[in-house]
Amino acid sequence: MFRKILIANRGEIAVRILRACHEMGIPTVCVFSEVDRTALHIRLADEAYLIGPASSRESYLRIDKLIDVARRSGCDAIHPGYGFLAENPALPRACADAGITFIGPSPETMETMGSKTAGKQLARRADVPTVPGHDEPIDNPAEAQAIARDMGYPVVLKAVAGGGGKGMRVVPEDEAFASCWRDASSEALNAFGDARVFLEKYLLSPRHIEIQVFADAHGRVVSLGERECSIQRRHQKVIEEAPSTVVTPELRRKMGDAAVRLARAGGYVNAGTIEFLVDEDLNFYFLEVNTRLQVEHPVTEQVTGLDLVKLQIAIAAGHRLPFAWESISPRGHAMEVRIYAEDPDNNFFPCPGKIVARRIATGPGIRLDEGVYRGWTVPIEYDPLLSKLIAWGNSREETMARLRRALDEYTITGIRTNVSLFRRILAEPEFLRGEIHTKWLDELLALPHPPATPPRPGTEHAAAIAAAYWESLQPSSSSPSSQTPQSAPSRWKTEGRRTQLDPLP
Amino acid sequence: MKFEVHLDSGTGRTKHVVDLEKEDASYKVFLDGQPVDANVILAAPNAVSVILNGTAFEIHIAPSLDGTYKLQTGPHEFQADIRDPRTWRGRKQSELEAEGRQQIIAPMPGRVIRLLVNVGDEVEAGQGLVVVEAMKMQNEIRSPKKGKVERLQANVGQNVNAGDVLCVVF
Repeated sequence: MFRKILIANRGEIAVRILRACHEMGIPTVCVFSEVDRTALHIRLADEAYLIGPASSRESYLRIDKLIDVARRSGCDAIHPGYGFLAENPALPRACADAGITFIGPSPETMETMGSKTAGKQLARRADVPTVPGHDEPIDNPAEAQAIARDMGYPVVLKAVAGGGGKGMRVVPEDEAFASCWRDASSEALNAFGDARVFLEKYLLSPRHIEIQVFADAHGRVVSLGERECSIQRRHQKVIEEAPSTVVTPELRRKMGDAAVRLARAGGYVNAGTIEFLVDEDLNFYFLEVNTRLQVEHPVTEQVTGLDLVKLQIAIAAGHRLPFAWESISPRGHAMEVRIYAEDPDNNFFPCPGKIVARRIATGPGIRLDEGVYRGWTVPIEYDPLLSKLIAWGNSREETMARLRRALDEYTITGIRTNVSLFRRILAEPEFLRGEIHTKWLDELLALPHPPATPPRPGTEHAAAIAAAYWESLQPSSSSPSSQTPQSAPSRWKTEGRRTQLDPLP
Repeated sequence: MKFEVHLDSGTGRTKHVVDLEKEDASYKVFLDGQPVDANVILAAPNAVSVILNGTAFEIHIAPSLDGTYKLQTGPHEFQADIRDPRTWRGRKQSELEAEGRQQIIAPMPGRVIRLLVNVGDEVEAGQGLVVVEAMKMQNEIRSPKKGKVERLQANVGQNVNAGDVLCVVF
């Protein structure tokens, strides 16, 4: 097993990985940018090193600095988490050069499977169905438009190096092609430094269902079942659950087999996710491979009872996957919501800031993966994910009841969060019936807000009493003489300034 | 201690007078002049627990930049503006309203993303005029006085520097 592991990440995932390491008795080395000195992963780390200024380009994305810290601190493995460098083959290459184990797939499989076009070609070879489309990146917009016309609209343009919905445009009709092309390629260039895009047929109301696979270095590849990730806002996952309401044991086996075939064909090792689109007739089409741990991995952990991070570390250390997992089937139901510091009443604008106070959700069937605490200021420089709240239970109904209950307990004071969005989704009859697709949430959000549930009688009176009581506790309240001139400007001064000011022309 | 509490629930505004009389370790509470069966304590930082006629509420309180409080209980939110009639301490501009012709300036560099008023509109003190986005945050610039929008110098999409005049209210 490893002597010491460097965690090349921040936020909740750094804390998640650190916890797995500590459970395995492996000391951790964490890194931080100048604004992350007080971050939770640094508070919990065994060793911590500053790697640069706030901008992730100069800190969390600097491979040279990470390798340097790993060397100096005597780490023999690096876990990349998700995001940042997790799918950049340059990191495993640099690790190999430095004699450090990268906890993840090889740089070669990252390139062949992580790229959307190469992944699609591989899927064809492995006899995994794909969405009709054009695999090759296309340089010439006119040529691309001709292909789109042949295929029939709507089509979707996607960045070759893309992910998370960046560099992606749906083209509804021929007239919109030129502007969509321009947007997709410039966004791709900005986000990934690679302007190349390809195009495929756009399915109308598909589900996004993904299969978690694990492969060891001894040729064993297993599927750990599916995650339903159709609740998305602008292509960003918002709620994930396992199992999916539409996946039967037979479909699970078929999708699992396809995912395993694909992983085998690509010589995959470690944790990976094969994403599929599933149409209304339950045909599934390969979408892409995520060559890393997913944000939503906890839902799989809750229904399989496995610790995916510990498995990743064990596989990277050369251990074998045990036999029994080849026929794994989910037990109970799990659902995750991603709580962000953003304002749902203001177009989901990020609103980081200081967490003045908070009440944590806990109790039966609740898990909270997070990197925040009371008194911490959420920095503006990074993704404003605060917490992943995961509920599990015997049935989907019990899981949702627990999630609703936990959302009522979860309170953060000082910054706004998107918690009200989940309350709304968890009250929608279609969601409760599992009748969802990838555009369901965007369609819901385009509708007017439903009337809020009326507060319990007395709420407003209680609020007035609480506000007055709070005010009575404030030091300045009982001593008006302590008021400073700044808080109560002299009327003489105000009048003097006013008379001296020239009236505007 | 007597407080005038102005509550805004987003759908309606109400006013209550709350009188807290210290009695041993707790308080006797009068709401709008009437004694009420209420027990109120600070349960945790920024969390006030109120048991009103046997119904338990936990109200989470955070100060806002404009001197009001944001109250949160379950899915419900209120904005509270509090005045203490005895000391007549007003919260910020609420007591002392600006006078005369006011130039509304951008407090920070940013980009104008929305105009909330038109030239000629009558505005109240504290009403939002222009929304400026800075550091990915949207900030509503409010009117310091009741009056009429005389001029709007900001355009949507325009970059502004701290101190730039956005509009004029008279």
